[in-house]
Amino acid sequence: MEKFLSNYDEQVTPRLKWVTETQLEQIHYASLEVLERTGIKVQHPQALALLKDAGCMVKDDLARIPGWLVEECLRLAPKRVAVANRLGERVMPLEKNRVYYGTGSDLPFTIDIETKERRTSSKRDVVEAAKVMDFLPNYDFIMSYAIASDTNPAVSDLHQFEAMTANTGKPVIFTAHNAENTEALIEMAAACVGGEDNLRKNPYIILYSEPISPLVHTLDGVGKMFKCFEYDVPVVYTPGVLAGATTPVTKAGCITLMNAEALAGVVMAQLFKKGSPIVIGGGATPMDMRTTTTLYGAPETSMNYAVMTQLAQFYGLPNFTEAGCVNAPVPDVQAGVEAAMSILMTQLEGCNLVHDVGYLEGGKTGYLPFLVICDDIIDMARYTGRGTNTSPEHLAVDCIDQVGPGGNYMGHEHTFKHFRQEIWNPRYFIRYHWEQWEAKDKKLPIDLALEKVKDILEKHQPAALPNGAAEEMQAIIKRRETECAG
Amino acid sequence: MSKYQELANAVIKGDTQQVKQITQQMLDAGEQPLAIINEGLIQGLNEVGIRFKEGEMFVPEMMMAAQAMKGGVELVKPLMAGTDMPTAGTVVIGTVKGDLHDIGKNLVIMMMESSGFNVVDLGVDVPVDKFIQAVKDHKPQVVGMSALLTTTMPVMKEVINALDKENLRSAVKVVIGGAPVSKEYADEIGADGYAGDAVVATEMCKQLLN
Ligand code: B12
Repeated sequence: MEKFLSNYDEQVTPRLKWVTETQLEQIHYASLEVLERTGIKVQHPQALALLKDAGCMVKDDLARIPGWLVEECLRLAPKRVAVANRLGERVMPLEKNRVYYGTGSDLPFTIDIETKERRTSSKRDVVEAAKVMDFLPNYDFIMSYAIASDTNPAVSDLHQFEAMTANTGKPVIFTAHNAENTEALIEMAAACVGGEDNLRKNPYIILYSEPISPLVHTLDGVGKMFKCFEYDVPVVYTPGVLAGATTPVTKAGCITLMNAEALAGVVMAQLFKKGSPIVIGGGATPMDMRTTTTLYGAPETSMNYAVMTQLAQFYGLPNFTEAGCVNAPVPDVQAGVEAAMSILMTQLEGCNLVHDVGYLEGGKTGYLPFLVICDDIIDMARYTGRGTNTSPEHLAVDCIDQVGPGGNYMGHEHTFKHFRQEIWNPRYFIRYHWEQWEAKDKKLPIDLALEKVKDILEKHQPAALPNGAAEEMQAIIKRRETECAG
Repeated sequence: MSKYQELANAVIKGDTQQVKQITQQMLDAGEQPLAIINEGLIQGLNEVGIRFKEGEMFVPEMMMAAQAMKGGVELVKPLMAGTDMPTAGTVVIGTVKGDLHDIGKNLVIMMMESSGFNVVDLGVDVPVDKFIQAVKDHKPQVVGMSALLTTTMPVMKEVINALDKENLRSAVKVVIGGAPVSKEYADEIGADGYAGDAVVATEMCKQLLN
């Protein structure tokens, strides 16, 4: 068979393409037109000065960015950003179509696994989420999931980082209040890997910062980003929008505006320091026009990411989107559908950083067992994304001939050899016959997921911090606390 | 169909042009300005409110209806010298210091304005003293605060404390809202009300002032 393989097309893994190259160019040029005609508001004086010096038309805090400057900065931005884990292993190269999943940050509410009541999130919830995701194989990076509401608000971001990094070895995407806290947080991160040099060499943290749609770049948002570039820490600088409220309601208009904002970020980043590692993309959620909620779990959101991912691939830049985040208030049928559909889409598109997995209630509530369910969904999507092998061995003509008409394949060596790869096995989804299910106390996936969470929290030991790191982190938090109070 | 019904329908359709046209015709025909507002324009918007609550109409349609109503009111207003414009009360509202989220606040404003409140919008990132100054300047019946960040929620308490200190607390009702805010939190900091969406926020303010 193999010798006939010339003149043969093969698609090893499926790839979802939503629009054509011409349409991407159309969106690109529309974004350039927005930057050139409408311009951006820049509240960060240094960024504004950089833009002016580079040839932008600046009036007050409004900068109009010429297209050539955008193209120039796109050329300078790294096409590949290698991200390590806390142990220094370069596990997450952001390049091409590699897909990585993680949750989001800062959920104000948590459904308590003991009482099943929704309550305000606390630092302990961040600790537990980090531990659970550290264990679950399909989470590639960690975000805080919950918000540490029970800590001093001036340094709650630092507490969240401490809670995460002490409980996972995986790469961490963090949020921070301002440039000063960002610097303190970088110091904390360095303490966990034996110093700043190691952090620069193998960055295991990424900042998530946002412009404010439409077209506003704030002092804090840009300040945090610049602070990171001083330390070669990669930055996700992407808008989170509500289409119909902060962007046009049309999908193409929403993407055009978001892309313009992200490109403005690329320009500021490269003017600040050539080669600054920046990730584009964003949260392209529409507003529900009945309830005014944020539509994380809607088809439009996934459709927007399909185009935005292609755009990032067109620029050759790493991108950031979301999936597995739902509007269902509890992990029910709706939650499963919303999560599965969006996760599969991102897998097939090849988004790099897919965040917000496991968000409930449109990004306001978290529940640890839902993270476990989503781990199975990602597993299924990744399995699907590996595609269908059509090699001669897989076409199995020899095997078919051996079994012959009327035989069966159950005892055949070919089955024995391939079944584990060819038939996916869930860990929490249920496939019993009814009687088997009854014998197992009729447990549902979410019940199994809850048991798993409790088991992980009791037994899982994340990679330990180096000696002294915990104390050093606490000292830094203390110091910042005093500085903020003073 | 009566002229009033026609006017109300034009508001419901969100057709500013038509609202203006009918309002002008009614004024030319000698209808009472106050009646045009109460029985035509506001009737229309009330109906929009009902349909919105029932899920038949959506936010953008409501916004267009509110705009259409404004178009009519603008024509009538100059002729109402002497009579007071009917208002449900004055509301001073803002997103608190450190917080830049304003979509929710803006929706609340839009709903309140279309329900007849006179709203003073302080914008985002509003410090405590700016709220206090606005209360002194505008003498509102209601102070509204929006916070979407756990880190900025405490500012709402600071504003309430400052109102206390300035002996202004009893003169106003304080209502709060935003994603991480809850009824419990409102009780905890001594606010008079919490609402989870713009419609409830507006109803709540009407009730508080009754
Ligand atoms: C859109 C959005 C943004 C936009 C805001 C754009 C804008 N112009 O407002 C941008 C991208 C700028 C943004 C930035 C940030 N955000 Co934000 N954002 C959101 C998001 C997705 C939607 C908020 C929204 O507008 N919803 C739609 C409106 C209509 O709903 P609403 O605001 O809840 O308002 C309704 C009710 O609450 C009520 N209401 C609101 N105000 C009032 C006031 C009164 C008086 C009353 C009675 C009622 C009332 O009525 C409204 C209408 O029905 C939420 C998640 C979520 N699902 O809520 C996160 C969220 C609020 N953001 C969050 C965070 C962490 C941030 C950032 C810190 C992120 C970062 N690290 O950079 C920054 C902070 C910037 C700052 N200093 O403020 C967290 C907050 C966590 C917390 N509790 O602290 C959330 C919950 C997301 C998350 N889980 O991470 N964000």
